[in-house]
Amino acid sequence: MILEPITPRVLSVRRLPNASAAMVRAYGGDPDKHRSLGLVTVDQDDPTYVALDEATKHAPIDVIFAKSFYAGAAHASGRLSGEILGVIAATEPEAIEAGLEALLRCLEHDACFYAADPKATVTVFPHVITSLGEYLSREASLAPGEPMAYLVAPPLEASIGLDAALKAADVRAVRVQTPPTETNFAAAWLTGELAECEAAAVAYAQAVVEVAASPRA
Amino acid sequence: MSESGRWADRCVRRLDEPDRACTRTVAVVSSSAVSRTRQLISALRDALGSAEPLPPPPEVPEVPAPPARVYTPRPEKHAFAAEAAKHTTALVGIGHVGTRYATDVVLQFQAELAVAHEAVDAELPDDWAAQQGFLGLRTRVTDHREFLLRPDLGRRLDDASLELLRARAIKQPDVQIIVADGLSAVACMGSGKALHDAVAQACQARGLSVGTPVAARFARVWLEDEIGQEVGAKVAMILLGERPGLGTGDGLSAYVVYDPKLGNTDGDRNMISNIHARGIPVADAAARLASLAAGMIAQRTSGVRLDLARLGEASERTPRPPQVRQKLVGS
Repeated sequence: MILEPITPRVLSVRRLPNASAAMVRAYGGDPDKHRSLGLVTVDQDDPTYVALDEATKHAPIDVIFAKSFYAGAAHASGRLSGEILGVIAATEPEAIEAGLEALLRCLEHDACFYAADPKATVTVFPHVITSLGEYLSREASLAPGEPMAYLVAPPLEASIGLDAALKAADVRAVRVQTPPTETNFAAAWLTGELAECEAAAVAYAQAVVEVAASPRA
Repeated sequence: MSESGRWADRCVRRLDEPDRACTRTVAVVSSSAVSRTRQLISALRDALGSAEPLPPPPEVPEVPAPPARVYTPRPEKHAFAAEAAKHTTALVGIGHVGTRYATDVVLQFQAELAVAHEAVDAELPDDWAAQQGFLGLRTRVTDHREFLLRPDLGRRLDDASLELLRARAIKQPDVQIIVADGLSAVACMGSGKALHDAVAQACQARGLSVGTPVAARFARVWLEDEIGQEVGAKVAMILLGERPGLGTGDGLSAYVVYDPKLGNTDGDRNMISNIHARGIPVADAAARLASLAAGMIAQRTSGVRLDLARLGEASERTPRPPQVRQKLVGS
């Protein structure tokens, strides 16, 4: 079934209510204000970046660490590794709880890859963030609250898709990650009016589906 | 789930956690329970003609709205600060919640800043001078933005106004009074006319002749030099809206100079500020300005060379009662 959502699997969720200062520092946090941590691993990296950003909208947390793993979830280092480790940090454990709640809700109901062909051998992430949180807005050098299309697909599909998205809508590219990335996907962040971001995401998804159906056209 | 989360920075203190610092809470506006991206992709799927129906999406849990929190400062522990706060509108003794301000302090600050912004942004209508019975003059400034950026242009009359002043104004008065917008047209429109009339009356009561009432648009303080010089006044006095402070967009200042001429400096001027309902009332200000003008004419000087001790009431240094801070927000 094409364009069926592939719900991300959350492989582990752990809290560190009082993390050691050296550990916090090593993961990019500030031990003075980041005493509590929440750690998640998920088998889809890009939905997790979106979910981490979502968490910053619901709780006074900072995303101090988020990195994708080489070669993706299909080649994970362990049963719980998935393809990303995300770490949120706050002063108080209850902020971490609120952040994790928002993060998990986003992963379950919102951000996910979609099957671009009937057997889901090609997947696409044509996600529209209607309102950026603190994390991705900083990463994208945009203002919190601006919309952004977060588009990911395998290398060639992503290239064709990006071209289609840029032609279909009045958007500008904030960041384009050409392959290879850690997971060997390719990504693009586009911004513009919300309706334009939506049109770009739809055009991207459609282009990826089309390439998946006829790769040698 | 909705992504249209909106920031709302609120200072909050929970009753059950007295020592807790402010917490940032976020108001989440749930417009739709279903993900926007999932809706879009589902529609695309239909458009591409996929016949098989999707399994129903999982139930989205209710996202509770954050509680509306108001952080109030702890009971004031510092007697000195509390006492000091009674004597000033300055922000002292306002307490704190953790490391931050209490909610009402923040709201009051924002409201007062808005009053100040509004006063700076306001413009004197073109026909205001005529309506109030003033001779309307303009400076070399052409628009409001230029007025804010080019103080030098606000200190000189444009050619048309100079002609008008030469043709219409009374020559050689003892005192030339000028009403002007300055940095707060709101203040000028509010009490400019009243202060002008009161000062003119007070001057005449002292036997001083008063020049033609003029009102200048986009004017700075030093404009009084050119106008005073043109009409040959002994003393020039400009009454203009002062740079708004927090919560005071309606304050007028008066700058008085003896022997007005281009090239005078601020050292040649005397001034009275904070002429508004919560500061110096118009009637008090008018009496002091008239005695200041009379003193300048008697001593033939102004500014730092003026001997204030010989002015009598204008030099009075009795402390006036503390200003009362206007509460703009809340109950």
